[in-house]
Amino acid sequence: MRRRTLLKHGATATVVGLAGCVGGDEGDQDTTTEATPTETPMQETTEETTETTTEKSLSGTLKVATYSSFIDAPSTAPGGWLKKAFEKRHPDVTVKYQTPDNEVNYFIQRAAQGVDIDTDVYVGLNVDHLIRIDEKLGDKQLFASTGSELSNYGQVKDGLKFDPQNRAVPYDTGYISLVYDESGVDAAPETFQDLLKDQYSGDLIVQNAKTSITGRAFMLWTVNTLGEEQYLDYWKKLKNNGIKILGSWSDAYTAYENGEAPMVVSYSTDQVYANRQDKDLTKHQVGFLNDQGYANPEGMAKFADTDNPELAEEFMDFVLTKRAQTKIAQLNVQFPATDWAPLSDEFRKYAKEPENPVTFTYEELQGNLDGWVDSWARQIAGGR
Amino acid sequence: MTRDGETAGRRERPDLDPSVWLERHALGVLGVATAAVLLVVFYYPVLTVFADAVRVGGAWTLDVVVEVLTDPFYFGALAPIFAGEFGEVGAVAAESPLGLFGFTAYQALLSTIASVLLGLPGAYVLSRYEFPGRRTIRSLTILPFVMPSIMVAIGFVAFFGTNGPLNAALTALGVGQVNLLFTLEAIVVAHAFYNAPLVARVTTAAWESVDARMVETARSLGANPWYAFRDVLAPQLLPAVLTGALLTFVFTFMSFPIVLALGGFQLATVEVWVYSLVQELEYAEAATLAVAETAVSLALTYAYLRYEARESGGRTANPPPRKRLFPDSPSLLAAVERVGVVAYALVVAVVFVGPIASMVVESLTGPSGLTLQYYQFLVQRQVEGASFQTKPGVAVRNSLVFGAATLLVALPMGVTVSVLTTRGGRGSRLADAAAMAPLAVSGVVVGLGMLRGLVFGVELFGARLRVTGPVAIVAAHGVAAYPFVVRNVAPLLGGVDRSVVESARALGATRVRALLDVELPLVASGVAAGAAFAFAISVGEFDSTVILATGSSSYTMPVAVERYIGNRTLGPASAMGTVLLVVTSVSFVIVDRLGGRWEA
Repeated sequence: MRRRTLLKHGATATVVGLAGCVGGDEGDQDTTTEATPTETPMQETTEETTETTTEKSLSGTLKVATYSSFIDAPSTAPGGWLKKAFEKRHPDVTVKYQTPDNEVNYFIQRAAQGVDIDTDVYVGLNVDHLIRIDEKLGDKQLFASTGSELSNYGQVKDGLKFDPQNRAVPYDTGYISLVYDESGVDAAPETFQDLLKDQYSGDLIVQNAKTSITGRAFMLWTVNTLGEEQYLDYWKKLKNNGIKILGSWSDAYTAYENGEAPMVVSYSTDQVYANRQDKDLTKHQVGFLNDQGYANPEGMAKFADTDNPELAEEFMDFVLTKRAQTKIAQLNVQFPATDWAPLSDEFRKYAKEPENPVTFTYEELQGNLDGWVDSWARQIAGGR
Repeated sequence: MTRDGETAGRRERPDLDPSVWLERHALGVLGVATAAVLLVVFYYPVLTVFADAVRVGGAWTLDVVVEVLTDPFYFGALAPIFAGEFGEVGAVAAESPLGLFGFTAYQALLSTIASVLLGLPGAYVLSRYEFPGRRTIRSLTILPFVMPSIMVAIGFVAFFGTNGPLNAALTALGVGQVNLLFTLEAIVVAHAFYNAPLVARVTTAAWESVDARMVETARSLGANPWYAFRDVLAPQLLPAVLTGALLTFVFTFMSFPIVLALGGFQLATVEVWVYSLVQELEYAEAATLAVAETAVSLALTYAYLRYEARESGGRTANPPPRKRLFPDSPSLLAAVERVGVVAYALVVAVVFVGPIASMVVESLTGPSGLTLQYYQFLVQRQVEGASFQTKPGVAVRNSLVFGAATLLVALPMGVTVSVLTTRGGRGSRLADAAAMAPLAVSGVVVGLGMLRGLVFGVELFGARLRVTGPVAIVAAHGVAAYPFVVRNVAPLLGGVDRSVVESARALGATRVRALLDVELPLVASGVAAGAAFAFAISVGEFDSTVILATGSSSYTMPVAVERYIGNRTLGPASAMGTVLLVVTSVSFVIVDRLGGRWEA
């Protein structure tokens, strides 16, 4: 048994008291965030010092599993900052990262085989993972329900919460969109039907919905918008219009950057990268089909078997703080999942948000996801 | 196992000196050790996954197997035959004649033909010509073999792309553009990039140990050069060419990342399906497909081994003298041949040098031109990186250590298996085919088996037994590499004149002594090629390394390349890829030189 403390929620509760009343709807987000950007650094330092003094009692090693680019991506990755900031706040705590190659599957497989899991928190869950977990593990619990225990949970935007059982707590989100080269297309396509026109023949690179997250999101977007009955027919036409379906986001983006096609499916934060790397922004225009973007929130969850539940919750709560939300968004180049993190000037200028974010809920995907993906894959593949 | 060893023991006085005992029983001991390593890091893990095909939810069932076999999507026109519904064959054949398996075999066949066509001239030039840098080039032929598929994809897209240097050159010449990417042709060329060097290397080894006196005899008996080649030389080379072709087919049959990166999902192979089914944790279906893949590969291997056994016969290595690039006595034939060599060099430049150079250029090109920033990133990561981040120096060191250790494991394993299976009847052909199994099993399945069997461990007597970290990685690399040693050594060993070995034994040499002092020097070129492959396999291995290295800092260079991908820049990954290229090139030359000293 690890040492535990009863004082855990003391300090963070006051933070919520001060800042926990910002509006929750995605639509009026702009109005709530614009006010703060200049004063935030000062507020942050005071917030931090008060908390370090009151929360010394937590100690031990917190094992956090995540996908490798969360800690290891070459340009920026949030992992290093997160560890440092959390350890500063809790001097007796050490954060240890684990990045198993099979990501969540690693833990699902362990649980399925009855092998113990000594990891405390997983960072980087999406709704597909939850469906797989519930389908494959049945009654065995991999993650524990945590959401309502967290003092900052109220700040998470309702539209992004994707786990009816509150195990996965969203910490950021991306929107799947088109990225295109202005000089390569006469006018950007505005609807899904536009993509079938001759003028876009051979112009779009997407990813495989079976092996890539962005590819799957784009495919689900077509199901969402065109309907379960129509999407296969639509893909047949897309295929006839010369769409290129590559294995991974990286394959697709490489081909796009080499000028193999003027449009690629990617994230709507594309210009943030382009700007940071001094790239030509006309080659990194973001387009939303039907004024939509498919939201792909990422969540974190506490392992059911953790022997550090309080520390795990403290960590998750920390990820939801205003400061961490601001920082993670910047370093992971995704949008914050909470309503209280101010968007940086850089994001307000270069990160685009769709007018109508769409996504499937857990309930809508449950029992359908595998079938949709499989029918899609069988229609596309087979060398025909 | 070594009957010979025992009779030799009886001939002399019984000796309790352990080193003498070891020398006498060395082959037996090595045989047992090889079997044990195979069992732990290959057969056990893989069979636990294969078992999933017939064990669903804790019950034995054939349902999934039957479902897969009778699914026209997978087996095309064969599906109704498997189902016993022969009336359906016509209808299915019209809809999807090949199925996923048929298409996969088709692209593998095309890739094999392309690899052989591209590899053979290389073998000819390397084994028949003498020119400055020949040995270095021969050492570097297997370089493509170690390149992570992600690097090959980057190089190919950059070089063959619409805006790439190839199309620029063609446009400048007024030939017009070629649109190669995202077609079946792109996959075939990329497969040839990987496998033509394999064909070339294996064939070069054979060509360097042909018996030229037989050709001279034929010529002196009046055969023209063509007949002498066809009837005397070709039969000596064919086993090696077929070895290369077989390995190429097996590899390309189970190819996967390169297919998705350069062809697209429309051209998906069976292995793509195995991968995504494993991702979805649909083990029964994945295992069934993987078993079917392995069955095809092993059947071909077995058929080939039967052939190889028939072909082997006694002869000694006695290669003809090498030609010079600039002939001593100019003739029309010599001129035509040299033009051919130049044309071939041009093709090599396009297919091999082009993509590799493009990748290096990528690592030196930033958004605003020439830059060293990505190499600075590597240095910075090495110096300042946090302990949980991937450091280039650690990756280089691990790759070299594992590569060297793999040599020490794979060479004895490979030679032992070669010796034990070279002389024997049909039973030993089966054993030989089984020994080739590591090549014939899907990499995805091996990875999954290692995760479940080795990383998670087995409950034994209340304790959980795990096999991970550097030792497991070297063992896994050894298992993946030793079949290459076998395929390079066994055919040559089969060709060694038995009387030489028997004389040595009659003079009192133990079986191992005879092997080390007599047989291996005769097949040195095969051993050297096998060693180079073993090292290359270790350096290039990704699937099991990344799984066995989980949670430790045992990652290797290809793993580092993979981890440096991301955030919209290929710079760091291609810089790491270039480091991998340089480090392995230097190592190859050294391995080859060391082998060469022994060879000479």
